[in-house]
Amino acid sequence: MDKLLSKLLNYGWATMVAVVVISAFFVYEMKENTRMETDLDEYMPKDHPAFVYSDKAESWFDIKDGIIIALENKNGVFNTATLDTLKKLTKRFQKFKEIDKDDVTSLYTADNIIGTEEGMDVKPFFKRVPKSPEKLAQLKRNVETNEMVFGRLVSYDETVTVIIAEIGDDVFTQDFYDKILKTARASETDDIKIYVAGRPIVEGTLALLGPEDMKRMVPIVLLVIFIVLYITLRSLKGTLITLGVVFFSTIWAFGLMAALKIPVYAVSTMIPVMLIAIGVADGIHLYSHLQIFINHHPDASKREATIDMLKNLWKPVVMTSVTTAVGFISLLTSQVYPVKYFGIFTAFGVMVAMVFSLVFLPAGIMIFGLPKPRPIDHGEDKGGHSHSKLANSFAAWIIEHKYVSILSTIVIVVLSLIGMQKIWINSSFLEKFEKDSEIVQTDKFINEHFGGTSTLNLILDAKGRKDAFKEPRVLKLVDILQKDVDGSLEVVGSTFSLADYIRRMNKVMNADKEEFNTIPDNQDMIAQYLLLYEMSGDPENLNKVVDYDYEKANVTFQLKSDNSKAMNATLDIIERYTDDFKKLGIELNYAGSGYKGLVFTDLILEGQIKSLILSLIIIVVLLSIMFKKLSIGLIGSVPIIITALISFGVMGFLDIPLNTTTALLSSIAIGIGIDYAVHFLEQYRYNAALTDSKLVAAQKTMAHSGRAIIFNAIVVIAGFLVLLFSVFPPNRELGALVSLNMFTSFVGTLTIMLVLLYQSNVYFKDKKKKKNAEN
Amino acid sequence: MTDMKTLRFSLIAVAILLISGFSTNAQKLTGRDIVEKAYNLPTGDDQTSELTMTLINKSGQTRVRKIKQFTKDFGTVEKSIMFFISPADVKNTSFMNWSYDSDKPDDQWIYLPTIKKVKRISSDSKSDYFMGSDFTYDDLGDRKLDADVHTLLREENIDGKDCYVVQSVSKDEDYMYSKTVTWIRKDNFVGVKKEFYDEDGELLKTLTIKRVEKISGYWIITKSEMNNIQKNHKTIMELADVKINVGVPASKFTERMMMRGL
Repeated sequence: MDKLLSKLLNYGWATMVAVVVISAFFVYEMKENTRMETDLDEYMPKDHPAFVYSDKAESWFDIKDGIIIALENKNGVFNTATLDTLKKLTKRFQKFKEIDKDDVTSLYTADNIIGTEEGMDVKPFFKRVPKSPEKLAQLKRNVETNEMVFGRLVSYDETVTVIIAEIGDDVFTQDFYDKILKTARASETDDIKIYVAGRPIVEGTLALLGPEDMKRMVPIVLLVIFIVLYITLRSLKGTLITLGVVFFSTIWAFGLMAALKIPVYAVSTMIPVMLIAIGVADGIHLYSHLQIFINHHPDASKREATIDMLKNLWKPVVMTSVTTAVGFISLLTSQVYPVKYFGIFTAFGVMVAMVFSLVFLPAGIMIFGLPKPRPIDHGEDKGGHSHSKLANSFAAWIIEHKYVSILSTIVIVVLSLIGMQKIWINSSFLEKFEKDSEIVQTDKFINEHFGGTSTLNLILDAKGRKDAFKEPRVLKLVDILQKDVDGSLEVVGSTFSLADYIRRMNKVMNADKEEFNTIPDNQDMIAQYLLLYEMSGDPENLNKVVDYDYEKANVTFQLKSDNSKAMNATLDIIERYTDDFKKLGIELNYAGSGYKGLVFTDLILEGQIKSLILSLIIIVVLLSIMFKKLSIGLIGSVPIIITALISFGVMGFLDIPLNTTTALLSSIAIGIGIDYAVHFLEQYRYNAALTDSKLVAAQKTMAHSGRAIIFNAIVVIAGFLVLLFSVFPPNRELGALVSLNMFTSFVGTLTIMLVLLYQSNVYFKDKKKKKNAEN
Repeated sequence: MTDMKTLRFSLIAVAILLISGFSTNAQKLTGRDIVEKAYNLPTGDDQTSELTMTLINKSGQTRVRKIKQFTKDFGTVEKSIMFFISPADVKNTSFMNWSYDSDKPDDQWIYLPTIKKVKRISSDSKSDYFMGSDFTYDDLGDRKLDADVHTLLREENIDGKDCYVVQSVSKDEDYMYSKTVTWIRKDNFVGVKKEFYDEDGELLKTLTIKRVEKISGYWIITKSEMNNIQKNHKTIMELADVKINVGVPASKFTERMMMRGL
């Protein structure tokens, strides 16, 4: 292998040109085919039963997420100016090509069905905007007495009224959002303030904001890494070439993705993060070795130096890369496609980075020359066996005070295990934004005035029994369930179902007397009310709560928060009715984007935990095979396990919930942990072969690999700390957690792993035996 | 142009096609003339029939309703009454409508057997859909001639029949259709099809006349289909057992009869 690599050194320019040309091709592919995926439905596994059912239900009941446009007038909304704005905006939104006209609801489009002594009255609340005080007062009265509208389209304090525009999953774009905002803002006056919120806005903005912020931050991260790398390597050439490896491997990963027409998902933005964190490692180790070599041999030619570097390091570079790649490939076990792609393309990027480190980097050295040697002062007392005083004393201290490492590790592991208990999963999108961001504030404002901006759909399924939802006992149970959920949970703002229509019709047909606001006992009466509603109201409305054959119904719960705690609390209460519904032959299912988000997050985590365990096993096996010792496999996995544990423990203590981004971070723990461990182990083995003293081996390894590991950690930590200044909270968490993982990996490798290595007598047992035999 | 036949959609009978007498005048007809001939012609004095209304949603699920209906023309007012035969749970639910020639809004009553009271429905919207179908009351013939401006667009041969193509644009800007386009046969003024465009000028619905029969000397549309293209929802109206001028008594159109049922 090293011979092949040495031969390639003769073709430095050819290698360079080949890499650049292929990269240019990939850049072209990226330009042509890269597409951001903002439709979160595209992230979900289509064949998962929960999603299959939800998708079906969404089509049965035309369940869509709504954009909420709220008009606020502190002096009240029942005045000509506000109502005129409401009408104009409603009509404008109806004309949007992205929005179906019938999917726009406001007080202007709603029908008012009221009971009178002699019959019933079906009228729009207003067609022409009322101008006289009498007409305005009448409209106000009509709204106040219609509970299908009051609190839903007009807030109870009458200062806010909303337009709800439901849109399809694939509609949202930045342009569309801008257009809505522009249209809304254009209607604002001194009295009328307009807010835009709703899940499509939150989802869409999130899908755009994360990658956008990344695009802004990554160059800064790279710049910082560049500077710190330059300071540590003290060689501009080395810095540029090392970063070149990261840069080109990222381009290849994204280029291949584009060439295969796979869109960029939000998780894909983690690929460069991984490649930066992992990719610089090989470069640092290679350059670190090279520097030490030329320090010792200042007269060596660049060819000799490079060949020595490759000879000594090609193995650990291949080992680290292969293990890391295998770790990422284990993500294929996930049911979520974007995570699978993330795994595959990161693995691909890691392998590309490996090839670059072994081919492109040496080619660079051949072309641009060696870094300057820094001659060693051989006369100085180094206090040990390596060329570095610091490494000698540090290694000696660690080994001498091994119980410090062991005890701290135990304490940290225990603390992490405690912290992990506190970890919770959050599928909330809203909580990924800044607390004081406009999107969160608007959402809060609307939640204060209305039922809630998040929706959970309960789908009741009588399994083909027609007219089941005309049965009084069924509707009464639905009514009880709704009241229970609404009454028990602060976070549930309102509920809505067929039962509400029946109660309303019963009341209307009984001269609007409140005591008839109930479900009647007579099934035929219910059927007749429904017919009457079809004849007098908008039958489309019924299609949203019950299917054509009255064997499936949709109960909507409006929640004031989209976080998983709120969703789960609601589900818990609903689930208590499972048996009661079962007795009536009715099954409970759920639908809607909020529910899918919840299931989706669980799926990601489940996949992540599975792949984490799987990759740990694979790593232990691979390390054991590579080093031909099971003990090494086990020792090598210790820094990884500690890194993962601390990462989860800290999240628990700091109340950082697991979500799609933070869950994937455990992969980084593996990728980095492996790098450190393998380089260190390989160096230790090499040094052990040359000496009989464990301390000598440890000190030399510390001076060599230890130094590279510290450089590596400093460089990446410095780079990722930059993300703390990101405007996007998930990216901040990412920066903090990557830095933390780098730090614990490096500390773990240089302390507890060294101690374990030392204590285990690995590589020295055989020697002793040999020695004994000789004697 | 010998036979002067007129198209009229009756509220009750869904769409009754009648052939009026003869026209001797071969002068060029305007759009308004054509529509007027279609709207303003004597129908039979009364009619009874059994209407089967089939609603089909986008998933292909259907709701089938059978209704017995009676209509009588009282000169300035046309009265109709209808009783549900099936589905069973709404049997004997009845509905009465009085439609005036003047601008006065229709009077409507509903009787639900389980409530046992006749209730008056006041709805000021002609744009309401008729019993959950894809037909509005207006579509069923309750539209006043001069509510729209009618323009003869062209003459066109459709399915081997020469037709006038007339465009009607509402004078009321807030009306649910920006325009309708009707194909009316030249030889007998039989409607062949009609297109309805929504407020944004996009095609909303198409009405297709599927079957026309000659009953008691009158041409009656006995099957028609309204297709709401935007909602992917369809309504098929089919008339059976049509009887014309059988002397339906005036007393049929009362609240008492609504409560009595069939």
